[in-house]
Parts: sequence; C-alpha cells; structure tokens
Amino acid sequence: MSIELNNEFGQIDISTDVLAQIAGGAAIECYGIVGMASKHQVRDGLTDILRKENFAKGVVIRQHDEDLHIDMYIIVSYGTKISEVAYQVQSKVKYTVDKTLGMSVKSVNIFVQGVRVANV
Amino acid sequence: MQSLDGLKFAEMVQMGAHHLFQNANYVDSLNVFPVPDGDTGTNMNLSMTSGAKETELQASENIGKTAQALSKGLLMGARGNSGVILSQLFRGFGKFIEKEATINAKGFANAFQAGVDTAYKAVMKPVEGTILTVAREAAKKGVEVAETENDIIAVMEAFTAEAKASLERTPDLLPVLKEVGVVDSGGQGLLFVYEGFLASLKGEPLPKKNDATLDDLINAEHHRAQDFMNTADIEFGYCTEIMVRLEEEKEPFSEEQFRNELNPLGDSLLVISDEEIAKVHIHSEQPGAVLAMGQKYGSLIKIKVDNMREQHSAIVGEDHKASAPTTKTEKHPYAIVTIAMGEGVAELLRSIGASYVIEGGQTMNPSTEDIVKAVKEIGAEKVLILPNNKNIVMAAEQAVELLDIEAAVVPTKTIPQGMAAILAFNPEAAVAVNQATMTDALANVKTGQVTYAVRDTSIDGVEIHKDDFMALAEGKIVLSTPALKDAAEKVITDLVDEDAEIVTIIYGEDTTEENAASLAKFIEESYPDVEVELFNGKQGLYPYIISVE
Repeated sequence: MSIELNNEFGQIDISTDVLAQIAGGAAIECYGIVGMASKHQVRDGLTDILRKENFAKGVVIRQHDEDLHIDMYIIVSYGTKISEVAYQVQSKVKYTVDKTLGMSVKSVNIFVQGVRVANV
Repeated sequence: MQSLDGLKFAEMVQMGAHHLFQNANYVDSLNVFPVPDGDTGTNMNLSMTSGAKETELQASENIGKTAQALSKGLLMGARGNSGVILSQLFRGFGKFIEKEATINAKGFANAFQAGVDTAYKAVMKPVEGTILTVAREAAKKGVEVAETENDIIAVMEAFTAEAKASLERTPDLLPVLKEVGVVDSGGQGLLFVYEGFLASLKGEPLPKKNDATLDDLINAEHHRAQDFMNTADIEFGYCTEIMVRLEEEKEPFSEEQFRNELNPLGDSLLVISDEEIAKVHIHSEQPGAVLAMGQKYGSLIKIKVDNMREQHSAIVGEDHKASAPTTKTEKHPYAIVTIAMGEGVAELLRSIGASYVIEGGQTMNPSTEDIVKAVKEIGAEKVLILPNNKNIVMAAEQAVELLDIEAAVVPTKTIPQGMAAILAFNPEAAVAVNQATMTDALANVKTGQVTYAVRDTSIDGVEIHKDDFMALAEGKIVLSTPALKDAAEKVITDLVDEDAEIVTIIYGEDTTEENAASLAKFIEESYPDVEVELFNGKQGLYPYIISVE
C-alpha cells in the first residue's frame, strides 16, 4: 500500500511504511514520549512498548480520497502534561511530513496507550 | 548565603518568571526548532507564570513545600515542548528536596541535577543543542562548584554562567540553529529564568532587557519566512534594515509608536531601540517610505536594502539546478572537462558526469587557452579533456602540454562519443587508465548527424545542393536531400544494425520536438528491440545528433 503523488513529470509512490517510519521517527524525538505502542496489543492496560526498530507498528496511515490521516499509538512519561505532549507530537509529525514529503496531513490522531513511571 | 528557605525561593521564582515574561517576545523570535512556529517564548512564559502563581499562593518557609507548589503550577500550566520540559526540570527539583525545610549550597546544586535527571527520563531520543543541554551542563557545573563552595550565591553564579556558555554552544550541536544563525530558543528562555533567580539572590536589579543584536532575530525571521515559499508568493519584496541615531530636535521617539507607524508598510517587522539608537528590520514594498519614517526621528547611520525576490529565486534555483552554470566554480579535484554546443547538450553532459562544459561548437571552437582556464577554474588536480569535435582535439592536446597537473585527452570527435567516454569514467582509476578505457568505449558508439549544406558540391560521391540536409553516418556523407525527415531516417537505417541497443536523439534548434518524436516513432516501428531516448540539445547547425550504442 502506498501514497501516490502526481506532478508534471509523472508519479511518485511513497510506501506507507516509509511514511510510518518518518512519522514515528518525528514522534519519538518529541519530549514526553517514552515509547510507541503496538496498535494490536492492548490488554488490561498493560501495553508492550515497541522496540525502536518497529515503532512504525504504532503508526497507522489512512488515505481517504486525497486526504491523509495518521493515527499514532504512544506511551508517555508519568508526570508530564499529557494533553500538551500529545499536541506537540501532532504538530511535530505534521510539520515533519510536510517538510520531508511535501504532503499535507489532514489529521494526526493520538492514542495514548499508557504512561510509564520513571524510577526516580 | 549558607542556606535557602521557602520564602526566599518563592521570591526567586517570581523574579525568574518576570524576567522571562519581559523577554518572551525575544524568545519567540528565536524559535526555529522543532517546529519553526515562533511560540516558544509565549509557551514558556505561560507555563512559568502558572508556576509562579501557584508558588505565590502556597509559599511557605519550608522550601520543600514551596518547590512542590512550583512543580504543581508548572505541571498544570505546561504549554509547548519547552513548557513541558520546564515542568519536568522543577518536578525533579521539587521531589529531591520535598522533605527539606532549608537547603545548603550542595543541596541546591544536587536538586538542579535531580531535575535534569527527571527531565531526561521523559524522552526517548533527547535532542542535544536544546533546553535539555543547557539545563544539563549548567547543573553539572553547579554540582562541581558546590563540592568546595558553601555560598549559594556563588554556586548560582557559576551555574548561570555555565548555562549562558552552554546556550552559546547550542548551534554547534543542532545543525538547524547554525544554519539559521541563532541560539536555541528554549535554552534562552531557561537562561532568563536562571538569570532572574540569580538577580533575586543577589538583591540586584534584573539584567537590562536583552540587548541582543538584531541579527539573531532577523535570521530566525528569514528562516520562518523562507520555509515553504515560492518566489511568486513574496508579497513584500525588499528586506530593509535601517539604523537611526535619535536626535533631540526631531520628533520625540517612542518605540511603540514607531512600530505602529511602520506596521502598515510590510511584514517581518522588528524594532529594537535604546536611548540613542533605533534599529529596524522590515520586509516592505516601499523601502523609501521606511527610510523617510526613520528620518523623522533622527539621522540614518546604516541602511541596507535587499531584493528578496532575486535572492529567493537564486536560492530556489540552486536547489533545482544543481548543475547550472552558477556552480562553475565548484572544486573538482578529479575532473572531466568537455566541450559542447548548445545549452541542452551541455546540460546533458553535466547530468552524466562532466565537471565542466565549455560552450563551443562547430564555428566557435574554444582555444587552448580557454581549455586551460576552465581546468584551473575548477581547481582540478587530475583532468581528462574530451573535445567532442575533431577540430578541437589539437587544442586539447596543447592544453595538456601547458597544464602542470595530471591531464590527458580522450580524442572524442562527437557528442555521442563524449557521452560514451564520460560513462566509462572511473573516479578511482588513474588518469592514464581512464584515458585508455574511455578511448576504448568510443568503439561501442556510432554517431550520426544531420546538418546543412552551405554550397553546391560533391563529396564521397554524393551530389550536394546548397541548403540541402546532409546525413552523416560516422562522419561520412550518406545522403543529401531537401527533406530533413529523409536525411534523419537515412542516418538511422545506416547506423542501426542487430547489435544496436540504444538510440539517443539529441535534437537541435532547427527542428521541433514533434519532428524528433516522430523520428523516434519511426525507429521504434522499424526496430522493435531498440530503445530510444530523446533530448532537447538546443544546439545550432545540427538539427539532429544521433548516437547508436
């Protein structure tokens, strides 16, 4: 599955995996995120944190008509203002995708799948 | 000062918040990372204000309780990345001393360190060159100094000085900052908080409103303006900067009023001033009006006006035409210098690997001197020269004599030969080896040309009339005809055999893309196994140059 871009020279196909990598990479640089969660494993509030090489698994790319939607499943650090961390992820992902792929994202939806308490 | 209690700490917090508040706009203007939306100062200020309010409400003599109040206020009011980080720094700080009534210099330094540890735990990939770096390096210094120093003020002084030094280093850690020419905005915001703490401890007034040069602000402003912009979208085309020496006898100056007067003239407006000087930066369509506005208040001591449309198209142009002639002065230690006529051909040769193309041709052949100059211009240490024309081979050979670097000529006589030679180039191999392999490559390509007859004559047994089209296969005239199409097709049929794989048609000024396309069609129909490539070479004299590989 891929996203198509057309210009005067022809067509560019970007695999959704690539997009997920870029979005995931942008997200984990955001302050307050301690991991990405797999979208499939939610049991009793116990969530497995994805290892760095598969954080794209916590990203879902959807394309409706011309619009691009990104869903992200994240785990945040306990004691941060979660609403604000989520907002930062949205803005950073939107900016990064726009800047690197020249695609505008219609929506970035954040699913906070867990908080992790750092051992202070 | 040997010990610090809650009430004193509450005063420090108020002072830090106030200092940040006063400089919030400046912090905004530095903001280029992670997203250049210019809100870092606003966000930090809102976060810190919320923290200061809570501290004021809950302040007690017990420093543990006061620090908890600050931590809670910051958490509730956290806004933006920088605000969240600030809240984490003081959450760790507060947690570390929650059971203390007062703290000494060591405890104070260790509390900052604990805050940094907490802040780093809440991020997977800490980006260095940001507020995190400034906090970390300052805390480390504070702990070091507190080993031997019992005076809290002295510790805070060393701590703040290190924060400042660390902030200055942020561009070395985060490339985007260096690119734009600013320090990190979040780090700058944090430094304002620390400076406020220090001023409060010493009982001194706050440092004067930041007297930063306009340059940082302008850099960040331009960076934001240039992101995602087309030259055509530039509404205000002149980047105008003036410096006014304010004069008593002119109109009394107020920065606020001056800003309001300038505002309608454009955007990206920045005004900073002190008692003597006002500096202005604005993007405007009427630079003259800006100058006149400045003169109302004094004399202009510095003026700079840049046309941004010109600059911008140059910047954007460079992005898209990496091989444009503007890059001629690029350094190529191991270079291929070649000769072409027609900018399309030159473009084509550059695209496949020529370092430098001298624009010459059948009637304006470059001299030996031209070739030597080109080689020197690109600073080549090793060079291969491809003349692409039998009349230039001699000049190229002489150029090699004159050059005191490793140089050799690959005796290419046509553009297609030149292309074949360039494609055979191995940047790892010695000049002599390349000369041999590139010369061998010439055997794999056959050249066809179509050009005009300039007079009636007979060559190679072919009757030629003035203004006829002559078909040349491998330099021999094979047909002379009034019809361009016939000449071109004759070249093809003479050159293409069962070994042919690729035919490249470079069409010139004197024919059209349609003609070239129909010629390509003719080839595809006659020889289904052959691939055809079309290029607009824009060359004169030769409607077609055809290469068969």
